[in-house]
Amino acid sequence: MIEILGERTIACIEGFGRFGRFSGESFRAMIHTFFHPRSYPLVLNQMNVIGVKSVPVVMATGAFVGMILAIQAYGQLASMGLEERLGVLINIAVVKELGPVLAAVMLAGRVGGALTAELGTMNVTEQIAAVQSFGVSPIRYLVAPRVLACLLLTPLLIIYADLLGILGGFFVSVKQLGINPGAYWNYSAMGVELWDVSTGALKGFFFGGAIALISCYKGFTCREGARGVGEACTEAFVGCFISILALNYVFAVVLSAVYKTFWPLRPLI
Amino acid sequence: MSQKQIQPEDGILVVRDLIKRYGQKLVLDNVSMAIEEGKTTVIIGPSGCGKTVFMKHLIVLERPDSGEVYYRGRRIDRLSERELVPIRRKFGFCFQMGALFDSITVYENIIFPLRQHYKITDWKAVDEMVKQKLALVGMDGYQHYYPANLSGGQRKRVALARAIALNPEIILYDEPTTGLDPITSDVINELILKLQRELKVTSVVVTHDMRSAYKIADRIVMLHHGRIVADGDAEHIRTHPNAIVQQFIQGKVSEAELEALRLGGTKFPTQFMPEDFE
Repeated sequence: MIEILGERTIACIEGFGRFGRFSGESFRAMIHTFFHPRSYPLVLNQMNVIGVKSVPVVMATGAFVGMILAIQAYGQLASMGLEERLGVLINIAVVKELGPVLAAVMLAGRVGGALTAELGTMNVTEQIAAVQSFGVSPIRYLVAPRVLACLLLTPLLIIYADLLGILGGFFVSVKQLGINPGAYWNYSAMGVELWDVSTGALKGFFFGGAIALISCYKGFTCREGARGVGEACTEAFVGCFISILALNYVFAVVLSAVYKTFWPLRPLI
Repeated sequence: MSQKQIQPEDGILVVRDLIKRYGQKLVLDNVSMAIEEGKTTVIIGPSGCGKTVFMKHLIVLERPDSGEVYYRGRRIDRLSERELVPIRRKFGFCFQMGALFDSITVYENIIFPLRQHYKITDWKAVDEMVKQKLALVGMDGYQHYYPANLSGGQRKRVALARAIALNPEIILYDEPTTGLDPITSDVINELILKLQRELKVTSVVVTHDMRSAYKIADRIVMLHHGRIVADGDAEHIRTHPNAIVQQFIQGKVSEAELEALRLGGTKFPTQFMPEDFE
């Protein structure tokens, strides 16, 4: 029993160590890619696959979040006669938490799964070994463009999710629930600051990095066979999801401490 | 011949006291070998005996648990990936299943090593090079096909064309004729011989196709349970006194295996019928 526990603990620590090394190498490779324009076509290709093709799902996620928030919060606010402040609640929630987190979770499913499956299959069919056999670093050729594309585009995708969340919330509040549009925007503008939008997007930078690194790592260390690839995809998604939530908690603590240092508490309602 | 006496300068590639384990399983058990320049060395042995793992050590795609690997007298098994780049450029590795990159065309696969190491300015010359390499393996005209649209044999031939794209000094072939029809197998054999004759390429071939081994080998080494059990030219192997070697080269089933088959045949049905699952 104790032996098994010890073995698992060691395996877990080893796993973290290997992931840390993989991440370090990926960062070095990314910096190399960034300063070598010859690699840009690879990055642009990944940007298209990872970023451009994710725009519709991320926008749909954002829109539904905004719309659902409007429906759920309206009753409570209306009972206190504060329904015109609905915009503050929706927009703060969307740009600070729900937009970034749900867009990142959507990306973890769409992009993370695809990255792990693609690299895992390449690993199983020896394509990664083939890259290496030509004297080319697989991390530089395969991982760096993917991580770079995720890092750069996740914040932008989050802005799309925010935009659609705000519009979705607005349409439901104004068209369906009959709130005065002028008051809705007025209160929203007073409540939401540049700080909220920019910290939301900043989180995207880290969420994107976590999604790409975890997914690529799982693909590179995938076990053989269809089952191996399937397991790697599941582990990658679970890993990405937990990391997004954990990182989000860390951000909540750090960012609120930073905010408190510079500005006084802001009453929203 | 004592294996301990092998020196790093004894061949273009030298392996000394190589040990490799996967978990508890000992895959390579103290293997030492010097591979001669300009010759074709064929490594034979039953499936799972460590042939492919051994070959991957030669290009340091696998690192030994203990032991040394030398290329032209220089120890390479401890070099970093970056330090290995110029050495790996001297190698061509033809993978068992081809390992073609399936998201790019045959043409892009072949220029992959070239594109990664050099800045291409003269695309006409590159087109000509690709045409020439593909013609060598009988695949000219397939430049714009994706690997998924090729048969197994065609993929292997394209993989071979890719392996020779940078005009390597050493070509490592992992089961080049497995799964191919006899005629295509012979084309591959002839190609290996042609590359060795005309370009003086050093070849290391892992195979269990004895017909191919006899045809191309200057030297045949047999591995069994991670150890070298026979080493010599084709005639030496043909007349080797070791029973394991004879059983392998003649493709005979051992008495123990026959017994296991007989037992299995009485205990289990060889074919399941739909009613078995109802």
